[in-house]
Amino acid sequence: MSEIAQGFGLVFQSDVLLAILFASIYGLIVGAVPGLTATMATALLVPITFYLPPIAAIGAIISSSAMAIFSGDIPGALLRIPGTPASAAYTDEAYAMTRKGRPELALGIGLWFSALGGIFGTLALMALAPPLASMALRFSTFEYFWLAFLGLMCATLVSRSSPVKAIASMLLGLLVSCIGIENPAGTPRFTFGNTNLLGGIEVIPALVGVFAVSEVMRAMLTAEPPKPERRRLGSILAGQWALTKQYPKQQFRGNIIGVLIGVLPGAGADIAAWVAYSVSKRFSKEPQKFGTGHPEGLIESGSGNNSALAAGWVPALLFGIPGDTITAIAIGVLYMKGLNPGPTLFTEQASSMYALYIIFILANILMIPLGIAMIRASSHVLRAPRASVMPVIVLLCAVGAFATGNNLFAVLTVAAFGVIGYVMERNGYPVAAMVLGIIMGTMVEQNLVTSIMKSDGSIIPFFNRPVAAVLAAMTIAALLWPVAAWGLKRVRAQAA
Amino acid sequence: MQLSDRVTGLFLVALGGVAAYGGSRLPPVPGQQIGPEVFPMIVGISLAICGGLIAAGVGRRYENEAEAELTEATGQTEDAPDAAEPSPSRWRELWVLLPPVLLIFYVYVVDWLGFLPTAAAIVLVTSLALGARWRLAIPVAIVAPLVINLLFLQLLRVPLPSGLLPLPWIGLP
Repeated sequence: MSEIAQGFGLVFQSDVLLAILFASIYGLIVGAVPGLTATMATALLVPITFYLPPIAAIGAIISSSAMAIFSGDIPGALLRIPGTPASAAYTDEAYAMTRKGRPELALGIGLWFSALGGIFGTLALMALAPPLASMALRFSTFEYFWLAFLGLMCATLVSRSSPVKAIASMLLGLLVSCIGIENPAGTPRFTFGNTNLLGGIEVIPALVGVFAVSEVMRAMLTAEPPKPERRRLGSILAGQWALTKQYPKQQFRGNIIGVLIGVLPGAGADIAAWVAYSVSKRFSKEPQKFGTGHPEGLIESGSGNNSALAAGWVPALLFGIPGDTITAIAIGVLYMKGLNPGPTLFTEQASSMYALYIIFILANILMIPLGIAMIRASSHVLRAPRASVMPVIVLLCAVGAFATGNNLFAVLTVAAFGVIGYVMERNGYPVAAMVLGIIMGTMVEQNLVTSIMKSDGSIIPFFNRPVAAVLAAMTIAALLWPVAAWGLKRVRAQAA
Repeated sequence: MQLSDRVTGLFLVALGGVAAYGGSRLPPVPGQQIGPEVFPMIVGISLAICGGLIAAGVGRRYENEAEAELTEATGQTEDAPDAAEPSPSRWRELWVLLPPVLLIFYVYVVDWLGFLPTAAAIVLVTSLALGARWRLAIPVAIVAPLVINLLFLQLLRVPLPSGLLPLPWIGLP
């Protein structure tokens, strides 16, 4: 009990609360601007969290990402342009509602069910983490190897692209992680005699490059998004309670889907929104209304993406395996702040864990008043010319990467990964899979090598420990799934 | 920089091959059964295999399906603004390299020229390239570097190089 009190004590301090407030406003603005994603918001925030105390840093990451996921709905509803990929699944539905003259209803659904979904996700995190932690305490390198491998495979399975390309992206990330001397043997690999490469490719500059610079590069070719017309919005929350009572099943199902997908390593809010939307349509009593400004799908997927965000922290906190790209960044911050992910976090730093839960709840409550303010201000924010926003992003990329290590080489890393990210995206290679490869490469290799050494070169222990066997089966199933699906279709096509 | 699957696939075959070869030449660690060469070799070979599959067109169907689903769901393709314009010419496509080029410019110039002028140049060029008028680009180029410099210096205590033009109010006793 005293740990909970300590948790409150950690959160309710002026610097933490201020960090949460500013990060929330920042997240709302970045999420609302089309082309600036929630992941980008988080990546650009990291250099700043370097200089904050641990709880304030984590609080800033949590609140900015939660706000950005919600506020991505704003341009979706008003302009039919998703502010973040997590809103893409239901942008058309929300815009249809706006065309019917009810933008405030669409935005209100986004806000209300995002906040509730976020709180549900947090409760799931609180419920799932401790039992999983006590199980994880018994894990050895064999289980960790499979877990990391499974995380990588999940990331490739759920990407909305060709599975072969996703696996290739992931392998590319693993290859990047080979650079440097951070390997079990301590041998410099692929450094080409460059001392800057000895320490390996730093994750944060690579992320900033992939998620921010490549976005600016894309803006160079695309036309400026249209500006919203000025309109007076009615009450945002009016009618939300009625919808909550009318569609309890949809909301609950959306939350559950969000949690399940969030917990899955590698799959995050955007996938959750897609799945929740299609599930909603599938089980709806009136599927013909979907796409015409019907609230059902909006409720389910809006609940889904925010609960996925919170649940994504489960594998991140327990195993250091990111649930999605945002927690991938968060893991870096956790390490930086001495809160190394792992099951012991829940016993040794229990008060910090409670602080984290409290921040989640707080951020989702704060989302409602701040979100209303943001919706009211959105016509101004969305009017900001892109030619004034993008240059600032470029500048922040340079300074932020520099600030993480007072090293100009990091800025070159940013530039290089900007190009890599852009070319990959353009050719259908999912960058998120590469990012997870970069982050988890060291972990996969470390556990693989240690396990093989422990077993004296035998691979039997990889399969004959019960948990390892289950994880191995899941990993192999994930690897073979695309092949099986292809074969099945082939057989059916021939039968028909 | 839209390339055919054949080109990107073959590039990955080459990259994977080079990585596996480079890995295989790493010196083994005495007394360790599994040295530093194993992991890069596994990754390199798998990458080469994936590259080969991509070049052969395996998995292309999934992308078409995902695209169709996206088109159905949003009524537009993912890069609709792209599609609305006539497809950019080769020259126009080179513009995308501007942001990384500016970052490289930053790396090599900032220590000598100082943060403020370098940043102002970067902002000005990016802003103009995105079609801003001078009336917008110049104020942004003056204000944004100042604000960012102050933010990093005062709030985060990261000194940025002052070069030829230090912040006007620091360096005073």
